[in-house]
Amino acid sequence: MYYVKDTDLVVIGAGAAGAMAAIYARRTDPKLRVTVLDKSKMETSGAAGRGMDALNTMAIPPRSQPEDVVEVLTKVTEGVLDQRVAYAFGQRCPQVVKDLEEIMGRAPGDLFPVDAEGNYVLYYLHPINKPLLLPMDGEEMKRALAQAVRRTGAEVFDRTPALRILSQDGRVAGVLAFNIRSGDYFYFKTKAVCLTTGAAGRMGLASSGYLAGTYEFPGCTGDGYAMAYQAGAELVNMECFQANTLLKDHQGPSCGYVAAPRGAYTVNPWGEKTWSHGYSSGDSKMGVWKRFTQGRGPLYLKMDHLPEEMIQIIEKIQWGNERTSRGLFHRRRGQDYRQGRSVELGFAEEIGVCGGHSSSGVLSDVHGATNLAGLYVAGDVDGGLPHSYLGGALAMGGVIGEEAARYAGGGAHAPQRQGLRAWLRKQADAFEAPLRRERGLPTSLVEYKARTRIQYYLKPPKNPAFMESAVWWMERMRAEDLPQIKAQDFHDLLKVQEIASILTVGEMMARASLFRDESRWGYQHWRADIPYKKPQWERAWVVIKKGEAGMELARRKAPKHQWDFPTAMEYAYPKLEFDVGAPFVKGPNWKNPERDSWMKEHLDQQGMATPRRFLPEED
Amino acid sequence: MDQLNSSGPLAEDAFSWLEVDRRRCNRCGICVDMCPMDVLHFGAQGHPYMRYRDDCWYCDVCVFVCPRQAITMKELPYLIR
Repeated sequence: MYYVKDTDLVVIGAGAAGAMAAIYARRTDPKLRVTVLDKSKMETSGAAGRGMDALNTMAIPPRSQPEDVVEVLTKVTEGVLDQRVAYAFGQRCPQVVKDLEEIMGRAPGDLFPVDAEGNYVLYYLHPINKPLLLPMDGEEMKRALAQAVRRTGAEVFDRTPALRILSQDGRVAGVLAFNIRSGDYFYFKTKAVCLTTGAAGRMGLASSGYLAGTYEFPGCTGDGYAMAYQAGAELVNMECFQANTLLKDHQGPSCGYVAAPRGAYTVNPWGEKTWSHGYSSGDSKMGVWKRFTQGRGPLYLKMDHLPEEMIQIIEKIQWGNERTSRGLFHRRRGQDYRQGRSVELGFAEEIGVCGGHSSSGVLSDVHGATNLAGLYVAGDVDGGLPHSYLGGALAMGGVIGEEAARYAGGGAHAPQRQGLRAWLRKQADAFEAPLRRERGLPTSLVEYKARTRIQYYLKPPKNPAFMESAVWWMERMRAEDLPQIKAQDFHDLLKVQEIASILTVGEMMARASLFRDESRWGYQHWRADIPYKKPQWERAWVVIKKGEAGMELARRKAPKHQWDFPTAMEYAYPKLEFDVGAPFVKGPNWKNPERDSWMKEHLDQQGMATPRRFLPEED
Repeated sequence: MDQLNSSGPLAEDAFSWLEVDRRRCNRCGICVDMCPMDVLHFGAQGHPYMRYRDDCWYCDVCVFVCPRQAITMKELPYLIR
């Protein structure tokens, strides 16, 4: 069935950012018609579907200030950011704490720790001397947010991923969506869209080979990046890859943000540490790469020196929050945090991009607004606010809810598309082609191929030949493989759309890496052919936009910095001059004929055909 | 490969790492409704099963939300455990 609906604002993706956007939109304008689309189920979807154990970068006075957030984000992005956005996020942090305590019905000191003076307790973790990590006991956060969204009266469509954002004359015009359980199509005429679809987290394939075994929620396939690009939005920092140190095979977080502030650290079998701070930035990843490349891995999270009480605390947090299957994973392997080498960490097993863990996404300003009128972004798909994690998603989710509500409730009008029904049928027809095909490639095979190519060609250290090969693979698979996929049912049909998003994002990652002809952010954009920073790239983004002939890339300076904080981390790029060994010395007779007259004769007689000799005879 | 990471729906008796206690399960469907990756669907008798097994993120939402504690995650996905 086809449904055409009028609404004022569509929220695409009801994770933490999308939920806050819907709540704040309805709070800002209670008359506003707000529609929420979720690929999954709002109560359990997204990166924080089973909750979260901390808000990683927060300015909560008196312990930390908005300027501290600007300082750390300036450092870990090495100056490539709009400091005004970082400051706006810092200012909003106390509101996030208040909102969550209210929505989850938890008192100060219960959801977040509070000291004897009544101040929130923050931990040191980052590469600056300010405490910014706010611990949280928030397993039920997502279900509470979902309940709050439903109470606002917003119309929620679960299992209904958006397929396209329509734009006209530089403005948002509508959203096309599809329900994976009913097969129904929806076209929402809308003035505004809050795009909160999460990271591109199903990119490089982990060595386990399990497609859904990703660090990010596997529903986050970069659809928002691809939809925003197709609609005309600008994306930045697609060359600043996310390359995590993860719980080997499980692919859950390395537990560093829980265990490190409580005394744990990462070591190799010789007891050598990888880096000085526990924050996941390009410098620490470079340290990890160096250990592995020297053959001085694997790495382990060391906890066996901690008191029993602290180990039990870490177990309670790790096994009851965020990735709750960690307990079962360890038990089945006979691992115990009280023993050395109990938690093995893998490195850069799944190359991807994310605004929240890194800096990649749709470019936005202090209001979460993009270059496309009516399109607002927040959370992991947002490239305007780097390294902001869940706290940034909640803060900027609220901001874009307010801003989009004002825009949609004001004088803006949604452009009207002519011949909508016919267009809709045509779109659905094209989308469902893989269902009608009698036979073809299974979705799992195509996804496996795309992600193995991404992991092989995009993983740093980068060089132009690897990146060009990645572009070739993405283009080839889009042209040859996508049109050959056979989808089994509606659930499987969505995979085809997801694979298309993966290929688009992979191409952006490769092209941006080629365009930024320098190295920056430690491991995250390490070009082995240019292992140093260039002055022309200071405070400069690679901006990607859809052009008439494909992806257009440009260098653009971020707004001038208001605060003069350090714009470099403390790492150094290695000089790679490995000794390949003394070569075999050829003697004076070590010489082959210059012409191969023997094989030339065969070639002349047989051409390229192989003689059919000694074949089995028919009975 | 297609056996390691399956495409499309699986039969109800396919290999699974979830165990559903049919004496406890009252077929309320909360787990089917809440599974974030759309893995769980109703089987022929109305009990949940892993129809799209290899989309499972081993988040154990199904185990957590079941009001009758009828679901057990015996293992993690084979490629991971």
